[in-house]
Amino acid sequence: MICQKCGKNNATTHIKTVVNGVVHEKNLCGYCAAKEGYNSMSHNSLAGMLVSMLGEAAGVRTATSAKKCPNCNSTFSDIAEKGLVGCGECYKTFYEELLPYLKRVHGAAKHTGKIPNKAPLMVRPKELSLDDLRLKLIELVREEKFEEAAIVRDKIKEMEGKENV
Amino acid sequence: MSEWYMKKGDAVAVSTRIRLARNLSEFPFCSLMNASQLAELNEKVKAAILDSNMPFSKQLKFIYMDTVPENEKYAMVERHIISPEFAANSSGKAIVLSDDESISIMVGEEDHLRIQIIKEGICLDDAYDIAERLDTMLCDKLNFAFDIELGFLTSCPTNLGTGLRASVMLHLPILEANGKISTLADSVNKIGFTVRGMYGEGSRALASFYQISNQITLGISEKNALDNLKAIAMQLIEKENEERQSLNKIKLEDMCYRAIGTLMNARLLSGNEMNNLLSQFKLGADMGIISLDVNPLKIMVEAQPYMLMRKFGEMGPDERDIYRANMVRKEFEKR
Ligand SMILES: [Zn+2]
Ligand SMILES: [Zn+2]
Repeated sequence: MICQKCGKNNATTHIKTVVNGVVHEKNLCGYCAAKEGYNSMSHNSLAGMLVSMLGEAAGVRTATSAKKCPNCNSTFSDIAEKGLVGCGECYKTFYEELLPYLKRVHGAAKHTGKIPNKAPLMVRPKELSLDDLRLKLIELVREEKFEEAAIVRDKIKEMEGKENV
Repeated sequence: MSEWYMKKGDAVAVSTRIRLARNLSEFPFCSLMNASQLAELNEKVKAAILDSNMPFSKQLKFIYMDTVPENEKYAMVERHIISPEFAANSSGKAIVLSDDESISIMVGEEDHLRIQIIKEGICLDDAYDIAERLDTMLCDKLNFAFDIELGFLTSCPTNLGTGLRASVMLHLPILEANGKISTLADSVNKIGFTVRGMYGEGSRALASFYQISNQITLGISEKNALDNLKAIAMQLIEKENEERQSLNKIKLEDMCYRAIGTLMNARLLSGNEMNNLLSQFKLGADMGIISLDVNPLKIMVEAQPYMLMRKFGEMGPDERDIYRANMVRKEFEKR
């Protein structure tokens, strides 16, 4: 039997769903079944949730930022679309954007598990860039968080000072 | 040494799976990798794995997926060695496999490496221990993308941190029959774990087999994630066993013997029918109704479509139902 969705692979999964008492049946290949979420091995419902959460965020962000990962060229909307990050550097580039979602998905954003022996040689989270801080300042002011905004403003001044040396 | 499904596992706890997601820092993640980067990744992993200092190196084989026949790829899915996505999209990729297939590493799945250990019964600590030793050696030889804040960096942020997904497969026919699965699944879900069918089919699991796994990987240590999963699995096992005690004995006997009757006499068996009958037989056997030296898990795996074709050659679904019925009958006759 050929998969009803792609018409290419052999159908290996017979899917029966009951919606409002009506039975729907389809035969899909493993790949298409997996795409539709009928799969036990690698997918989880969190991934789907993440895509929709990131999607919302990307809509808001693209207006203000066309930031790209310096390593793989991904933008935040690329990441949001697929629910997949482009490379390890993306986590540094889009740390601020991803952070609230990491917290929502995992309930925390600080690794407490295994640390490989070579860890000290590896990358540490980068300090926020000047552009990031400026964006952050606008956000904080808009949210009327003036105390935090003052700290960020001082940080910007400090960094601008260094740049002009 | 033989595959997980060749052993019976425990009555309720059928199998245990550990998976670690790892990536090399020098390459983009798999969705952005080109063919030459993928080839380079393969060679790096191959060199690391086949190094004689590696634990298990003698029992590990490095296999290019392009050398694996199409049907065998799907048979690997049916044996739970690789994911359907990997099988359907494996060009240029590779897999590391141990002789007994308990250790496998998909190279080039969603993450550069997906280290998997699969064992019969419930043995989270033992299985994790193997994964951990393998991972530690690989950590030394390869540059895994790691960040002190975020842990092991993964393609999907849902795996970030430990990259560990642990799962236990449970046979829960009575909890299912008594309509208790969805309530249990909801409460398990609230504390960061999922319950799903073996090969999902709507909300009902295939032949009452359910997989319980952790969802959260960041902000929790491997040990805590494993301990929590173990505690939840033990609770579900206990509940299932509790409800089994109040079963009507004659009804149970009737169900079990009818299942055996069909399994031993049918000339045509669809995969679905066979799975459900084997599930009923397993329940009866586990309850001591009948003592037959037949392993239902072995039959369930070996009678899947691609596993059948692996043994008997290419054939259509109708013909498979004939071969499946023959195979099942022989298993019960020779016991
Ligand atoms: Zn398909
Ligand atoms: Zn990137």
